[in-house]
Amino acid sequence: MLQLIFFNITNGLIIGAFYALMAIGLSLILNLSGVINFAHGGFLVIGGYLAYTLTPSLGFWGALIVAPFLTALIGFVVERLLIRRLYGRDPLYSLLLTFGLAFIIEDGTRQIWGAQGLPVSVPAALSSPLSYEFFFITGYRMFMVATVAIVVGLLFVLLRYTRIGVRIRAGTLDLDTVAALGVNVRALRSLNFAVGIFLAGLAGVLAGGQLGLEPTMGDSLLMPSFIAIIVGGVGSLTGTLLGGLLIGVASGLTAVIFPSASEAVIYVMMAVVLLVRPRGLLGEEGMMT
Amino acid sequence: MSVLAVRNLTKRFGSLVAVRDISLTVDAGELRAVIGPNGAGKTTFFNLVSGFLAPSTGSILFDGRDITGMPAHQRVGLGMARTFQITEIFPELTVFENIRIVTEVAAGYRLRPWLNRAEAADIRRRIEETLALAALSDKADRLVGELAHGDQRATEIMMALALKPRLLLLDEPTAGMGDQETYEVTQLIGRLHKDNKLTIVLIEHDMRVVFHLADRITVLDQGGFLAEGTPPEIAANEAVQTAYLGQAA
Amino acid sequence: MTSAQQKHLAVLLAIWGALIFAPYWMPLFGGYTALGSRVLVLGLGAMSVNFLLGFTGVLSFGHAAWFGLGAYSCGLALKFVAPSTPLGLLAGTLVGGIAGAILGALLVRRRGIYFAMVTIAFGQVFYYIAFQWNSLTGGDDGLRGFARQPLDFKLFRIDLLHNDVYFYYFVLICFAAVVAIMAFILRSPFGRTMIAIRENERRARFLGIPIELHIWIAFTLSCFFMGFAGALYALINNFADPRMLHYTLSGDFVIMAVMGGMRTFWGPLLGAVIFVVLQDYISSVTVNWMSFIGILIVLIVLFFPRGVLGLLRQRRTA
Repeated sequence: MLQLIFFNITNGLIIGAFYALMAIGLSLILNLSGVINFAHGGFLVIGGYLAYTLTPSLGFWGALIVAPFLTALIGFVVERLLIRRLYGRDPLYSLLLTFGLAFIIEDGTRQIWGAQGLPVSVPAALSSPLSYEFFFITGYRMFMVATVAIVVGLLFVLLRYTRIGVRIRAGTLDLDTVAALGVNVRALRSLNFAVGIFLAGLAGVLAGGQLGLEPTMGDSLLMPSFIAIIVGGVGSLTGTLLGGLLIGVASGLTAVIFPSASEAVIYVMMAVVLLVRPRGLLGEEGMMT
Repeated sequence: MSVLAVRNLTKRFGSLVAVRDISLTVDAGELRAVIGPNGAGKTTFFNLVSGFLAPSTGSILFDGRDITGMPAHQRVGLGMARTFQITEIFPELTVFENIRIVTEVAAGYRLRPWLNRAEAADIRRRIEETLALAALSDKADRLVGELAHGDQRATEIMMALALKPRLLLLDEPTAGMGDQETYEVTQLIGRLHKDNKLTIVLIEHDMRVVFHLADRITVLDQGGFLAEGTPPEIAANEAVQTAYLGQAA
Repeated sequence: MTSAQQKHLAVLLAIWGALIFAPYWMPLFGGYTALGSRVLVLGLGAMSVNFLLGFTGVLSFGHAAWFGLGAYSCGLALKFVAPSTPLGLLAGTLVGGIAGAILGALLVRRRGIYFAMVTIAFGQVFYYIAFQWNSLTGGDDGLRGFARQPLDFKLFRIDLLHNDVYFYYFVLICFAAVVAIMAFILRSPFGRTMIAIRENERRARFLGIPIELHIWIAFTLSCFFMGFAGALYALINNFADPRMLHYTLSGDFVIMAVMGGMRTFWGPLLGAVIFVVLQDYISSVTVNWMSFIGILIVLIVLFFPRGVLGLLRQRRTA
């Protein structure tokens, strides 16, 4: 029994790490640019499929590194050409734009790679379990968590200690002042968007290795990201990280007691948070209202 | 009893002190001007009094009642009305519609699904009176967003007035206006003050307006109280002149 | 009557004329009556969303939730409670409205994109429930086993089930009733406070309007309208499915409102006409209709944000 709980908590953390990765990218974009990126799931899908296409030539590790960057590049272009025009306007329009983009991306991937699910091959070294005792913790899952931990850790370091990172954080709080200080806000936003998309692309590559690829997989991962942000607190990246992990663990634990409700529980958590502490666990009052 | 009494009002933003230990009292029917060089904390002061900001320390009394913790819209209910530095109106509605909303809210009709004949006629009459007071009757059907700055400001003032306030806070009513518009708005404020015995607190940079309208003047400098007195007293006050040195009057 | 009023009346007559005679002129263009019913109901949904979006300025992106709730409630009522069309409609309206009222109370303190996010997430809760609760809702296959019942007026019966034209007029009457209520509310003092909030929330707050309360009321009203529209929708195909709760449908409603003209009363109906017709046409011509809709959305957002009626209105006053 204990092992079952342990299994599910670990499972939950792994899922949670994944949700957190998606949610942090979404949160970055939301915080600085005020855009709810409905197409985030779509970029995840692009990342996964790009890795699939690149694997034959670059190998698993090559694809792992290159695909997210390529995805980020696509995101950068999208931001510059399309989203940038909508910053001054009612947030409704950027929301609709990303909504439309999501359609285009989903259909586009279906067009290019086919509607069938695609299997992704993972290096043998990773897919074997760590030990007999903990058979469920395959190398790949550990690898996923490790990757997420490293990337997120790097991101936090970047945001804290580099000039650009500081500007992004300042911009989240007060974009006007940052602009008045001479920072090129437009370039900042584009870069920030690209970083967010990078994370989505990475999540896609990782997800592909775990779940295989199909054009609609972005959808099912988008909602938990939203919820991670709401639970963790809008405006706080640490909160989003925490939120992602929490809902992952909750989901995993629920799978022990009540398997079919494991997805429902994250919605329940969201409802509870909204009732008891609407700004989220680590959210700041007044953000995004 | 004074209409507005402010005691030791302070507002800190982190380590920045925007308003420092301000106390003042405004009596019924008085027109008080609050002046001071840029950055003196005048708009912050207004934001505190009207409830857009919560003070760090100090208290605000309105008609003797402590309103320090009260949210903005409740202060409106008690009789406080305000205009903003950047004209805050409903730009894509006509002048008539702008005044109508305020009049209906002031009459307590804001949740009503309909008005009977008598009520509708009464509202219409009140709107037309308000429009006439500000000489806006002929512009009633124009979109406010398309009017000249002076007329927009006049509309905004009349909206505040339609609330039948005990206290009217005007934040730089002649900001950005040319001489003619400044004159007209000043005349309007003067008329409203005299005809309705309104208590008005006015932030202004234009000294001509201040000296024309004010009964008393409070001078702020760098968030703190500098001086207070009648226009002649303030005009002669050396500390005030020093604070303003280099500032265009 | 002033010329503006004359124009207004002419427009109204044109709209209602087209709607009343739809079963007769639609076939001329390759349409069919059931399509007309569908457009009316979706148009009603779009107008209900617009009640909140265009007239109060509140960004609710999860409104399909109330639509779907209305659809399921209607179906369930018809299936398990009593075979009565009015009952089904009532059930749908009440469930949609009351659920909206409760959730709305939770959500109104937030605004802007945060509100949008939360409404989307909540919408998905219902989608998920409909999907999972197989035994009651039929899960992914949808809810079946009910049908619109004839209206029994004691003296005569109107067969709504087998006669598409009768059903269309039934829908039209329902549509007219709700639209009349909407128009009435928007012209009332309360309705004007909604518009004030949209125009300048800060100013409205500082006129003494308790914003959260007014938004909650507007929200709840629009949820009642949505529930009703959803119930009607279930009656069109005698079917309800989880996709009626999904946020993509929410997005569709918003698109219809924007396409037709968000700040106009009839815009969303026009948007619904365009959207449904386009969708029908495009999906019959190509398998990639999703891309086309997506591109259409992007183009509208970038270049025609005021929608068709918005553009016309601008041109008239220019």
